[in-house]
Amino acid sequence: MKFEWFVASRYLLSRRKQSFISIISVISIAGVGLGVATVILVIAVLDGVDHGLRERFLANEAHVVLRLIDHRFFGDYQNRIDRITQVEGVVAASPVVYSQMAIFQSGQESITDAIYVKGIDLVQEDEVTSFSKYVTGSVDFKTSPLIEEAELREGETISGGIVLGYRLASQLGLTEGDVLRLVVRLADNPGSVGSPTLFVDFANFVVIGVYESELAIYDSRIGYIDVDTAQKLYESVGKVNVILVRLADSEMASELSYEIEDAAQFSNEDQVPKTSTWLHTHSALFAALKMEKIATVIIEALIILVAAFNIASTLIMTVMEKTRDVGTLRTLGASRGNIMRIFMIQGSVIGMLGTFAGTGLGLGLCWLLSTNIVRPSLWIALGTIAILIIAQIVLVYNRLLQSPKVRKIGMALLWLLGICFALYCFVRPISLKELGFSEIYQMNQLPIKVNWFFVCFINLLSFVICWLATIYPAWQASNLKPIEALQYE
Amino acid sequence: MDKQIRIDNLHKSFYDGDSELKVLKGVNLDVDKAEILVIMGASGVGKSTLLHIIGTLDRPTEGSIFYDEQDITIFSENELTLFRNDAIGFVFQFHQMLPEFNALENVAMSRLIRNSKNIGSLDGSSSTPQEVYQTAEHLLDSVGLSERLNHYPSQLSGGERQRVAIARALMNNPKVVLADEPTGNIDDKTSDAVLDLLLEVNEKLNQTFIIVTHDSRISERAKRTVHLVDGRIAE
Repeated sequence: MKFEWFVASRYLLSRRKQSFISIISVISIAGVGLGVATVILVIAVLDGVDHGLRERFLANEAHVVLRLIDHRFFGDYQNRIDRITQVEGVVAASPVVYSQMAIFQSGQESITDAIYVKGIDLVQEDEVTSFSKYVTGSVDFKTSPLIEEAELREGETISGGIVLGYRLASQLGLTEGDVLRLVVRLADNPGSVGSPTLFVDFANFVVIGVYESELAIYDSRIGYIDVDTAQKLYESVGKVNVILVRLADSEMASELSYEIEDAAQFSNEDQVPKTSTWLHTHSALFAALKMEKIATVIIEALIILVAAFNIASTLIMTVMEKTRDVGTLRTLGASRGNIMRIFMIQGSVIGMLGTFAGTGLGLGLCWLLSTNIVRPSLWIALGTIAILIIAQIVLVYNRLLQSPKVRKIGMALLWLLGICFALYCFVRPISLKELGFSEIYQMNQLPIKVNWFFVCFINLLSFVICWLATIYPAWQASNLKPIEALQYE
Repeated sequence: MDKQIRIDNLHKSFYDGDSELKVLKGVNLDVDKAEILVIMGASGVGKSTLLHIIGTLDRPTEGSIFYDEQDITIFSENELTLFRNDAIGFVFQFHQMLPEFNALENVAMSRLIRNSKNIGSLDGSSSTPQEVYQTAEHLLDSVGLSERLNHYPSQLSGGERQRVAIARALMNNPKVVLADEPTGNIDDKTSDAVLDLLLEVNEKLNQTFIIVTHDSRISERAKRTVHLVDGRIAE
């Protein structure tokens, strides 16, 4: 072993009475470790949110939405879709009649809410958004048996089946087989005399299924009906007002949107096309997430910096305590470089141990927070900790193990295992649904996604910060004059 | 007789702000090879300062020191460190053991330092770690501490520590061993034993010894004693 490593390792594992220095070393290691663990965990959550949202948006949304600038209906949509799908990079396209309808349940006196209604072609929609995958119940908008079985007031008819977002369904208290009455449109009643009255066009739909995407914006605001039904309701047979497009690479949405507009071949005079991309629609959200991540990294780097100051102060204290040793070593022929390296190695090892421990803790917590398995009861965890405390007391007071070294290592191992087990019992996936945050965060469980590149980056950053923190104390030690160091009291 | 060390008009002053304290005021001294030279003098006269300058731990304000006719006062910091490691052994009053290392490791330390620099000794020899510890063990055996190899300084008596210090000083087979009050911190009986050991080593290894002391018993047994009076040498 190189001389500097030999001396530094002995100072780290000092067997003399400098328990104070040793405790500070442990605190320094813990400080760095906690900093690293926190940053890994927080970034894993933020990346999980980012990744989870992207995954859900991409599964539930089209990559490009094509419509006319004044939201008007347009015909010849199937030909337009065929031409759009021939654009390189486009996987599929589907026609949609997109509208808003008001809820006016029978027996109520006023309109309670308005929802978005998507009239879709099931086969084509599934190619674009995997719609059916998220539906519980039926997707058979026209021939579901529930439509036949539905009870109506006299004189009213059923327009078809509707699939409701599950939050919306529970908010309205509707289950499969219930009838939902929607106001399709209002029009002036030409027969009214005096003050004008409005003609209200109702449509009744039977709830045939519920849609659960885990994205609150879809699950609480949208209903899905058949595109033909929607066309009939709006008296626009053979027309739609939106075409949804799925791409092979979702990141290419902005680049391909102009080609998609061209392929749709709208006449430029009265039909001005407009595309919007999923990235553009959610740009504010992703920008906020990115900003949050940058802010987190800066704050966490500051935490590690504070921990690095611990290392610096530990080393300064070690240098003060080892001043006579430095004098002796210089007398024996150790150079300034030798002395500097001894203390830099000592500080770097503290930093490295802290970084590795923090990485282990951070990754362990990420695993525990994302693994849905049945854990032992919390009482077992508390019992384990209690047993460890009792074992520690018994060992200390009765000195059951003769060798202090064996006693120390044995107890340290037991504590490590005990704490790992307690964490295993305590740390479970966090249900945002149970906490009532699922609407805010758009997902039911706290998402975790370990970013390995970032884990490596934070390890490197932490190690560099800790290494930098060793320079000044080590330089101070190397600058001690041998005679003054030897005579240091 | 061959000269081992020649000290020529050596001055050393210490400064405290504007005030100058002249400690050594023109020391001239020759030390022969394999000689035991005792330097005596009143407390605070500058004996230790002179020893530190001879041992390259401090630099003179003026004057030169020649080892085998080579002026070491013109050496750079790094050259002095290498020279000190290779050519000089120290024995201090308070033994200056490294408390985290056992007797064997304390003795071996100077050779481990030399090996870390990836250079051999001035005579070109180098050693493997096994050889280093074998030499250290042999030296501890020769000072009567073969049973104390793995003992830490806190587990050794004052006399034993000083014997370890002597073994450590001899580890790199230095040209000169410098001892600063080697018996100053131990009882009379132990002092005699330490002194016997120093004389025995000198006789056996033919190394030059310069001993700074108050202890007149050492000067009685040394071949030559000089006195440092008012910053100058008086034979």
